[in-house]
Amino acid sequence: MSDSMPDSMLMSLLRGEVPVLVQGITGRAGRSHALQMQAAGTHIVGGVASPGAKSNDGPPGIPVFADCAAAVKATGARASVALVPPLQALAAAREAFAAGIKLLVSVTEGMPVHDAIKAAALARECGAAWVGPSTPGLAVPGRMKMGFLPDVALNPGNIGVMSKSGTLSYEVNYRLVRQGLGQSLWLGVGGDPVKGTRFADLLPLFAAHAGTRAVLLIGEIGGNEEEDCAAAIRRLGFDKPVFAVIAGSSAREGVTMGHAGALIQGGLGTHASKTAALKDAGVHVHQHIDELVGAMVRTLS
Amino acid sequence: MLLLEHDAKTLLAREGIAVPPGVLIESPAALDGVDLPPAPWVVKAQVPVGGRGKAGGIRMADDAAGLADALAAICAMRIKGHAVQGCRVESKSDGTEVFLSFAVDPGAGAVRMLFSARGGVDIEAVAPEALHSALVPPRLDAMLAALPRLLEAAPPQIAAAVADAGGRLAEIFLRHEALLLEINPLFVAADGSWTAGDARFALDENALPRQPQQMALLSAREGAYPDALFKYRQGFDYIVIDPEGEIGLITTGAGLSMKIIDDLTAQGRRPYNFVDIRSGQFRGDPGRLITVMRDIARAPNIRVVLVNIFAGITHLGEFTKLLAQALAAVPELRVPVVARLVGNGLEEARVILAEQAPAVELQVDLEQALARVLEIAETPHV
Repeated sequence: MSDSMPDSMLMSLLRGEVPVLVQGITGRAGRSHALQMQAAGTHIVGGVASPGAKSNDGPPGIPVFADCAAAVKATGARASVALVPPLQALAAAREAFAAGIKLLVSVTEGMPVHDAIKAAALARECGAAWVGPSTPGLAVPGRMKMGFLPDVALNPGNIGVMSKSGTLSYEVNYRLVRQGLGQSLWLGVGGDPVKGTRFADLLPLFAAHAGTRAVLLIGEIGGNEEEDCAAAIRRLGFDKPVFAVIAGSSAREGVTMGHAGALIQGGLGTHASKTAALKDAGVHVHQHIDELVGAMVRTLS
Repeated sequence: MLLLEHDAKTLLAREGIAVPPGVLIESPAALDGVDLPPAPWVVKAQVPVGGRGKAGGIRMADDAAGLADALAAICAMRIKGHAVQGCRVESKSDGTEVFLSFAVDPGAGAVRMLFSARGGVDIEAVAPEALHSALVPPRLDAMLAALPRLLEAAPPQIAAAVADAGGRLAEIFLRHEALLLEINPLFVAADGSWTAGDARFALDENALPRQPQQMALLSAREGAYPDALFKYRQGFDYIVIDPEGEIGLITTGAGLSMKIIDDLTAQGRRPYNFVDIRSGQFRGDPGRLITVMRDIARAPNIRVVLVNIFAGITHLGEFTKLLAQALAAVPELRVPVVARLVGNGLEEARVILAEQAPAVELQVDLEQALARVLEIAETPHV
């Protein structure tokens, strides 16, 4: 997400209505989530069946098209959520980007890494933003959501949230919401090693967005995304307060706990390395969720 | 998932890559009657982490007595918290040692190719100017085109051998959808032939469904990859992190489950397992809960079980019905159960628990639930 196009696409989500497609809308999850996204305010304009789907029926009131190209042509959709099986995630991304979709959210867990590399390259070639895979999606509370971030943890507010983990972000945001705080944009970058949007990619957007007063980063051991984000905070002179919590302080090298990206190898990607890099960049890193929430309440209330 | 060196070499040998002749010996007792490759030998600990040489996990042996000693010493070791899963005993190789590695670079979303003419040591120890690097898309044409650039500064005979090895290894890296294929050292002999002296080969668990050769290898080595095979067969992650652990966990979500383990560990307690049970995928079946409860019930030191479900999608009423069914199906799990539930259907869940599993202690706040778990775990045995 190096050029300005994806930034502007996410910014338009923050500013107004974006027509959204649901790929895989005829599946069990696709049908139910399409309706829940609609209920959250998302302008769902149509859907596309999963390849090889048994049925071509979507939920009532949402038209189902043969493919993304037909759907985009008929509806003017600019964004899409793909709820498809892991081995179909690359094909779904290829189809979406070829049809002119400029923001794709892939919630799929278990996408092969080499497929993710190819999808990320396609997104770059097409000037599109790709979020995921293995993400619960993104939301602008009160306005829209793409994916399935839980309503109980959503509240319109001024925190820009970015997270590798779904459930840990639910827990932290649930506590923030109970303290009266909320999110301007909440985006799950996902727990896979190769992904479309990384923490550092979101900093320019949060910097430019007047409605975002602080950033919450929910990280995990493995990879170097937190370290890269710390470097970008320094490079960009990012001056809004950033708060962070990193899971995995007790993890051993060579053991993967659930997320494919959450793996310490060769002494890299450790909790200590991430905490140190973020603290050096001025980030408020907290080990305890309640302390983190308390610090954010003091800063933002 | 990092393959053990022996398995990596088995896979590479099947793909036609030259490796030193060697055998896997899983314990000192298993040495009897083994058809050994020619001496002298290198005896190498099999562990899923790097740095075993520095940790004393690699020894030389010239004769039978030396081999038995080396095996006994190494098999008794733990390296970075991992029990040694036997040793690969192989013939010692000779030649110029170079370093060649292909790895997925997550930040770049590309393949990082690395070569150094100074192999055989930790690559971190190689001076940056002696390390040649290229970043390419995961395509054979791109990797083959980059190889000559990496080898520009190498002596001609080395360059020719590594070009040959690199081309074949690149094809294997791509076809196997590897995350890492590192050969260090790659031995280049005086006659220009080459041998993969060591191999770090990391596979993508997500690609296993379309990699039958990898599945066959893993299935034949059941004991070495229990976590990966469990996930492949059961569809969720379950890892015993401390067999002596005292707190069983039935939790959903990788990040939050990891954080709970962090918090309990920071309090000096010993969690038994990690699990991301994915309650959203139950579809009315308590099977996953029963599987996890049975395993926890078999552990020797369990004092308490913590259930944590943040129900974004899951309905807590449905979940608690399944929880009660599972508890009834696993009567051997006799320790207290603290269930922290939040989300849709909490009131229904409260009623169901009171009727069907009244012994389960319901909490709605995670910090309070953790405090209760610590309190129970700290209660002296009677």
